[in-house]
Amino acid sequence: MAKWTESRPDEDFSRVLAPDGTLSGEAPVDEATALRMYETMKLSRRYDEKMLSLQRRGEISILSRSWGEEAIPVGSAAALEAGDWCFPTYRQTPSKLYWGGPLDRAVAGLMGHEPETIEEHLPLDEADEPAVNFSPIYIPLAANVTNAVGSAMADKFEDGNTVTLSYIGDGSTSQGDFYEALNFAGVFDAPAVTICHNNQWAISVPSHRQTAADTFAQKAEAAGMPHERVDGNDVFAVYAATQRAVERARSGEGPTLLECVTYRVDDHNTADDAGAYRDESEQEFWAERDPVDRLEAYLRSEDALDDEAIEAIEADADERVEEAVDRARDVPEDDPERIFDNHLQSESWNERHQREELRAEQRGENPFTDFTGDGL
Amino acid sequence: MSADYADGETSEVNLVTAVRDTLAQEMRRDENVRLLGYDMGPIGGVFRATEDLYEEFGEDRVIDTPLSENGILGAAAGMAMRGQRVVPEIQFLGFFYPAFGQFMYTISKMHERSGGAFEMPLTVRIPYGGGIKSSEYHSESTESFFVHTPGVRVVCPSTPAETKGLLAASIRSDDPVMFLEPKAVYRTGTQEVPEAEYTLPLDESRTVREGSDVTVLTWGAMVRHAETAADQVDADVEILDLRTLSPLPVDAVLDSVKKTGRCVVFHEARRTLGLGAELSALVNEYAIDHLKAPIKRATGYDVHFPSHQTEEAYLPDEQRAAHAIEAVTSYEY
Ligand SMILES: Cc1ncc(C[n+]2csc(CCOP(=O)(O)OP(=O)(O)O)c2C)c(N)n1
Repeated sequence: MAKWTESRPDEDFSRVLAPDGTLSGEAPVDEATALRMYETMKLSRRYDEKMLSLQRRGEISILSRSWGEEAIPVGSAAALEAGDWCFPTYRQTPSKLYWGGPLDRAVAGLMGHEPETIEEHLPLDEADEPAVNFSPIYIPLAANVTNAVGSAMADKFEDGNTVTLSYIGDGSTSQGDFYEALNFAGVFDAPAVTICHNNQWAISVPSHRQTAADTFAQKAEAAGMPHERVDGNDVFAVYAATQRAVERARSGEGPTLLECVTYRVDDHNTADDAGAYRDESEQEFWAERDPVDRLEAYLRSEDALDDEAIEAIEADADERVEEAVDRARDVPEDDPERIFDNHLQSESWNERHQREELRAEQRGENPFTDFTGDGL
Repeated sequence: MSADYADGETSEVNLVTAVRDTLAQEMRRDENVRLLGYDMGPIGGVFRATEDLYEEFGEDRVIDTPLSENGILGAAAGMAMRGQRVVPEIQFLGFFYPAFGQFMYTISKMHERSGGAFEMPLTVRIPYGGGIKSSEYHSESTESFFVHTPGVRVVCPSTPAETKGLLAASIRSDDPVMFLEPKAVYRTGTQEVPEAEYTLPLDESRTVREGSDVTVLTWGAMVRHAETAADQVDADVEILDLRTLSPLPVDAVLDSVKKTGRCVVFHEARRTLGLGAELSALVNEYAIDHLKAPIKRATGYDVHFPSHQTEEAYLPDEQRAAHAIEAVTSYEY
């Protein structure tokens, strides 16, 4: 078995909700917010489940799921306010769902449609835009954190009052971009909150191969910024810590790094097989700490949820996901010419010419018959 | 085919297995050979190109690193300066960008900068290219960035047997080599590959087939489409698999074009300043008297690599190659 850094995962981070759903101290959110958190996590699970089945059927090509880690994107996003900014990677779909981000567009993206096609066929009214601003999802690791700090700097220079949140995996904190981002954030006192999902694995590489530091949170020390370490499966703890960091940022006190300790329950993505490199017993340990079960137990104990309410929430999630999939399936196949869209603001000879070539090819004609540059 | 390379036993392997077998052979042969990258250990790489090597050679020779491309290349360069023969892996070509600093500052420059005193014997293995319907930055074909940089070799095999000889030669070379593996054909076919060690020259192309009407210059994952196209068209097609992209095998290119009088460059990369631009310029400068038609470039378009619904429309295939061949063979001044 691979050496496991989090040998005492229960002992060295802040926690509000115990794995059995009991609360220490006060709930940091009101009941309505707690329910919205719960509903978002359930919706995300249903979405993850459905996407996996679409992947198995070949309707989408590859998928990385949020399963088991939902408390981090949901708890942190809940601490934002309308007008704030959020720079996610592929593992924080639940953040966007919390703010009402459209499911159908997410599905269509996974189906491989060009963004332009999605925009055209699944248009979004301004009123339906999430109140928090989301950047497109980042695939290149750690690039988002650097941009997020720039976004925060823009607010600072314009005396704005908004906060920028970004997410990074434990593995990705090894990238130069991450250190550079924190350093900028520190120097410019940027209203930036960076959240590290320490899910302990970067594909097959365990977190102790990413750093010899005791914690990921302490990487903030060198950038001169505050940091906290929280139970990443405790949505209240994540919320409370993010809330503190957001407050600090909003009141001009600068950036914070939060490390949220969790576990990547699933394979890295649908091309991965975690069984090849890690021990099953880790899974069992973390299954008992599941963030959704934990919140559910709490809400039940508060009489805010019962079997009937849970069933209704599940039915609603199911319906929303099915409808989104149907809408995404209704998007017609992409016009290949879409690939030329949105590169530059004006037209060029090359673009015009290559569009013509592609069109000719699509018609089964020979696209290489222009020998003068005047067109086909 | 095996007779070209080595005598003796052969085994039937695909391209990614040829990579793996060659790495194993070179590591057994020279204890200074070390692999460096992430996900290389227990799972043997996301494409299984280093499968079982961790078990055989241990964690000091198959080194699972932190997730940092610039760190991997920078550390590899330092190790190479101290006499190690390092084979770093970058997981996908689209994730090479963070490593450009070390690539430009040290790897390509150290030998020249030290007046020849420091060698840089490293071979950076990178799967490249599209056709696997993955997400963003997993399908790039940006070999021009490397070719445009002095001080590095760029090698791109297209078959299992070539892979073995070229990879072994790259690892044994004292030059830094960017070794681009066409992942679309990692597992698409097998070939009898000699089991004994052999190397292939790092500055020669391979004539895939001889012909008299038109030369197709291509490499990597496009070679197979060029072959299919050659079967479809009504012309006698000569295909050169360049296989070493820098330095370019210019003699072979010019000889072939002077013989056939026509030329198509067929590559997966974007067209503008893709390698086709250089090849076309070379032919123009040194063989224009022999040309019976303008050179055509059948390539990808000048756009970001698209989402998977549109990737087929973007990617060159046998049809695009055939069209270009037909256009230049039917052209008359
Ligand atoms: C710059 C860059 N290098 C490599 C990759 C390929 N890749 C995608 S996810 C991943 C592992 C990320 O691990 P971690 O940061 O811990 O996040 P997690 O997936 O565990 O949430 C890798 C290597 C990438 N997307 N970007």
